Amino acid sequence: MRRIFMIAGHEAECWLTHDGSRFVLNMPDGAVPCQLVPTGAPGAYVLRTGGRAHELRLAVGPESTFIHLNGSTFEVGRVNPDDRLAGREGTAGGDRLLAPMPGVVVSVAVKPGDAVTEGQPLLVIESMKLETTLTAPRDGVVAEMPFTAGDSFGLKAVLAQLTPQEE
Amino acid sequence: MTISKLLVANRGEIAARVVRTAKARGLATAVLRHVAEQEGPAHLIADEVVMIDGPTPVAAYLDIPQIVATAKKIDADAVHPGYGFLSENAGFVAALEEAGVTFVGPTSEVIDLMGDKVRARAFVEKRGFPVAPSAIEDDDPATFVERARTLGYPLLIKPSAGGGGKGMRIVREDSTLETEIETAHREGQRYFGDGRLFVERYIERPRHIEVQVMGDGQGNVVHFWERECSIQRRFQKIIEETPSPALSPEQRDEICETAAGIARAVNYRGAGTVEFIYAQDGAFYFLEMNTRLQVEHPVTEMVTGFDLVAEQLRIAAGEGLSAAQADIPQTGHSIELRICAEDATADFRPAIGDILLLDEPHGEGIRVDSGIRDSGKVTTDFDPMLSKLIVHGPDRAQAIARARNAVQNYVILGVTTNTGYLDAILAHPDFASGDVSTGFLAEQADVLTAPGEDVSTLLMAAAALSDQRLVTDVMQIPEMHRKMGGWRN
Amino acid sequence: MRRIESHIDTNAADYKANFAAMSERLKEFHARQHAARFERPQRDIDRLARQNKLGVRERLKLLLDPGTPFLEFSTLAACREYDGAVPGAAVVTGIGIVQGREVAIHANDASVKGGAWYPHTVKKIVRLLDVALENHLPVVHICDSAGGFLPLQHGVFPDRYLGGRVFRNQVKLSQASIPQIAIVGGHCTAGGAYVPTLSDYNIIIEGTGAIFLGGPPLVKAATGEEVGVQELGGAVMHTSVSGTGDYRAATELHAFALAREIVSQWKRMPKTIIETAAFEDPYYDTKELYGIIPKDRKTQFDMREVLARIVDGSRFHEYQPDYGTTMVCGFAHIWGFKVGILANNGVLFNDSSLKAAHFMQLCNQNRTPLVFFQNITGYMVGREYEERGIAKDGAKMLMAQGGSVVPKFTVIANASYGAGNYGMCGRAWDARTLFMWPQAEIGVMGADQAANTMADVKIRQLEREGKQLTEVEIAAIRDPVLEKFRRDVEAYTSTSELWDDGILDPADTRNALGMSISAALNAPIDDPHYGIFRL
Repeated sequence: MRRIFMIAGHEAECWLTHDGSRFVLNMPDGAVPCQLVPTGAPGAYVLRTGGRAHELRLAVGPESTFIHLNGSTFEVGRVNPDDRLAGREGTAGGDRLLAPMPGVVVSVAVKPGDAVTEGQPLLVIESMKLETTLTAPRDGVVAEMPFTAGDSFGLKAVLAQLTPQEE
Repeated sequence: MTISKLLVANRGEIAARVVRTAKARGLATAVLRHVAEQEGPAHLIADEVVMIDGPTPVAAYLDIPQIVATAKKIDADAVHPGYGFLSENAGFVAALEEAGVTFVGPTSEVIDLMGDKVRARAFVEKRGFPVAPSAIEDDDPATFVERARTLGYPLLIKPSAGGGGKGMRIVREDSTLETEIETAHREGQRYFGDGRLFVERYIERPRHIEVQVMGDGQGNVVHFWERECSIQRRFQKIIEETPSPALSPEQRDEICETAAGIARAVNYRGAGTVEFIYAQDGAFYFLEMNTRLQVEHPVTEMVTGFDLVAEQLRIAAGEGLSAAQADIPQTGHSIELRICAEDATADFRPAIGDILLLDEPHGEGIRVDSGIRDSGKVTTDFDPMLSKLIVHGPDRAQAIARARNAVQNYVILGVTTNTGYLDAILAHPDFASGDVSTGFLAEQADVLTAPGEDVSTLLMAAAALSDQRLVTDVMQIPEMHRKMGGWRN
Repeated sequence: MRRIESHIDTNAADYKANFAAMSERLKEFHARQHAARFERPQRDIDRLARQNKLGVRERLKLLLDPGTPFLEFSTLAACREYDGAVPGAAVVTGIGIVQGREVAIHANDASVKGGAWYPHTVKKIVRLLDVALENHLPVVHICDSAGGFLPLQHGVFPDRYLGGRVFRNQVKLSQASIPQIAIVGGHCTAGGAYVPTLSDYNIIIEGTGAIFLGGPPLVKAATGEEVGVQELGGAVMHTSVSGTGDYRAATELHAFALAREIVSQWKRMPKTIIETAAFEDPYYDTKELYGIIPKDRKTQFDMREVLARIVDGSRFHEYQPDYGTTMVCGFAHIWGFKVGILANNGVLFNDSSLKAAHFMQLCNQNRTPLVFFQNITGYMVGREYEERGIAKDGAKMLMAQGGSVVPKFTVIANASYGAGNYGMCGRAWDARTLFMWPQAEIGVMGADQAANTMADVKIRQLEREGKQLTEVEIAAIRDPVLEKFRRDVEAYTSTSELWDDGILDPADTRNALGMSISAALNAPIDDPHYGIFRL
């Protein structure tokens, strides 16, 4: 199973296996059998690898593991590459924002030529007594905002258009 | 006047530190806590914890009417301000006086005087103490730039209302002087609500040496020797020590007596610190006087054996100084390391996080004044300093060795701290030889933040094996398939 | 269980000669497999790159758990068809591990003829889905196919086990609550559209993936409507308008990450429990198989020496060791799984047939899977044996074997001739997997025997017409027949035709069986029941 580990800004994709008797960490430049044994004190372990035993203190945070080793403290970021990739919006490349339902434009936050970042509010619409903020589907530049506040629109009307991305 | 109940109008390590001494003196103690604030060590040991409100935690700790009202409400007869926050706020002192509550510190007049860098400097200069060549904007704003220019470069621009290094700018070339002055105006306005400036000759490779003084307000002033505070990042101290490796015994006496003289000149009451710029040629100039307890006061306590907070409380209670100058020794060597939640490799960007594991060093000659607890949270609401590690040794070399050992065994997991960086400073040969200046950290930035031995394999192995989800996922692969590994037919 | 005592002398000349011959064969075999998997004309590689598609092998790497095995089926399928231009029959199939779960994988290889379905492609996919059905394995379909290869449509489309069977099997899988996911990384046109639509989950990769019953050219021809691929059946349309697609993925990486996430949601079904033991590697070196298998196929060898290099700890509990000795029966563990093994040590006589039938009933009774190691030239012929009822005893063996409810696995280790193939669970007898070793042969009879028989018929016919043939003329008749037969019985012919699930390096047999047995335990084992034994 894979993990991307980030140490001091560098990423390495690794995977861990267990051959029935021991764990093996497979790194981009080689594999090492390894074993982590708790020694009693909170977060205290001995890491056995490469014929050496390393005493360390360790704490697992939600996104990083903090390790105190040889008098220094390190932060190791952890990402499951599947989570990172699977979490991506399917339409990262979408150029158009289509009306999810008919409604009225309440306000428009950007104008053509504006640079926008993914998630930035572009306009607010009202439909079925609910206000919805529509956000940029990706980073880009606004090409067209066809409606102004007060305009009504139909289902699947193009509410915002970004300039197409360079391939 | 007697003090029986003390409110500590501060937080973090200093609140806990003051409470300990106050309790040892038999006082009832109270501390403050903002709703958004984590429970710290002071909250555990104080007799009483009073909740305070404010739009931000910092705003609450700066809220004079609320704190004065709190002191009255809980019948505190004295307030210890710690450092920072309201510790040098003359208005606060005045408000307490009006409410009949004793302020543990100097009079509002002295605070007022020393709080205005320009007036303080003029006062000191007039009494014959050394100050660096300077120009004050207020003297004649129209000629300020011209007068600055005549001091000769390099120059240091400072906000008159400033402190702590904020808004200070070094100018090396005449061409940039005017734009730098404009920027400093804006920054002064933004940080202190006061854009007034003054300019002084910038001393190349200066050292920062300060002297701890204590007065009883009755004309008696003693000093508790000097502290060397040249190890600064972005104008803020992170390692302090005493004695200073730069001073000869004669120079030490001279600088300490100068400091005591300045304090005497204002009939100083309480604990204060006189800061000097110390030039490589041995000349020193008055920089400013801090009318409060300093962060780094513990190193002084370690070599003198005095509890400075106890002295403060004695003086506030009208009991006077406990010692004459001759009774104040300077024994051995002490070093303080400020443990901060910050990323030394990313321009000291403050770090936040949950403290997942805390294990402080302990042993002979090691003192930790901590403001954090295990499973606490480090936020950007307050200063990034988490705690202070203070060591004492028979001599400087042994103190450094002890400090390195202690900082290496200071385990704080969950938030990025500067422990590794502090250790790198201690390991630097120039630090060992004492050949440093306030620019040392900037000059040696590359060396001090250079990555150490590559232990990434160990780190990744430890991170992988302690990742329960990863281990579970691996162990859910049927054992036979795991054992076959990446077999292909 | 006792360890088999090996009598192999690894310093003996014949051992060394065998070892050299097998090594030579394996060199060729591995080279052919490598070529079938990886060697492609540059233009096909370029085309995939241009289409922004990953190759099928990279896709598998993204799908499978790292550091886990993949049992690939029939890598050399179609190696003797289509002038060898359709390596692997343009599809990769096998059993692998995704999120710790055993899954069957069907992945089109678009680097071969755009992943078009040839007759052998269909056969290979249907076989994979049969494996999934028999073993209750979830299926991951990786779709990227140009569609049926039209010039050979009669071999792809109409018959019972052709194209329609792919979809029929998908329906049966769904009916049996076996989940399927399809990752659409290319076009799924016409029938191909049903692979993702009959799957429980599907993911369409934006830009490259598309699903439609008729592609743009066909639409234009049929109705005159002009429509682009994306509008007609692209990821956005299907996932937001038609609901034909479930998830759209921005990239291949995204698609496979999503697929892994989906697979991780699937319920793990409890596996069938059989007797197991802790793993133990064979005591004897597996590679010694190379020196044990004779370089001359006709040379007899002791199958126990083979078993000693495949089963756990080389331990074997032999059943009826002194009766029917040409049929070696007994219990062993493979990767911890208890199995009943039937291995040929010569021709099948009456007693060896009866012993086999009895042993298989034992295994069914206590739910022990069966593993057959074939080296069989047939049942004994001759008056004496017919009088003893060899056909009747053979029938008992077939009844016991064919009526077995436990999973069966077959390794054609050397010869597989005649009715012996049937008794020893040949292809027709539903072995869950069936593998051949590279030197093994399969046919109604041996090549020499068959060629001689055919040549004799011809020669006698010519003689009846009054022609006297010289030795040279006889050879001219016999040799081409012999050559054809020799080729027809080769493992490469078998594997090309998908009469097996692939050729195995003998040293890989243990793992292939371990993977097969483990997969089989996803399906329940029925209570034993048989037809009528002719007693």
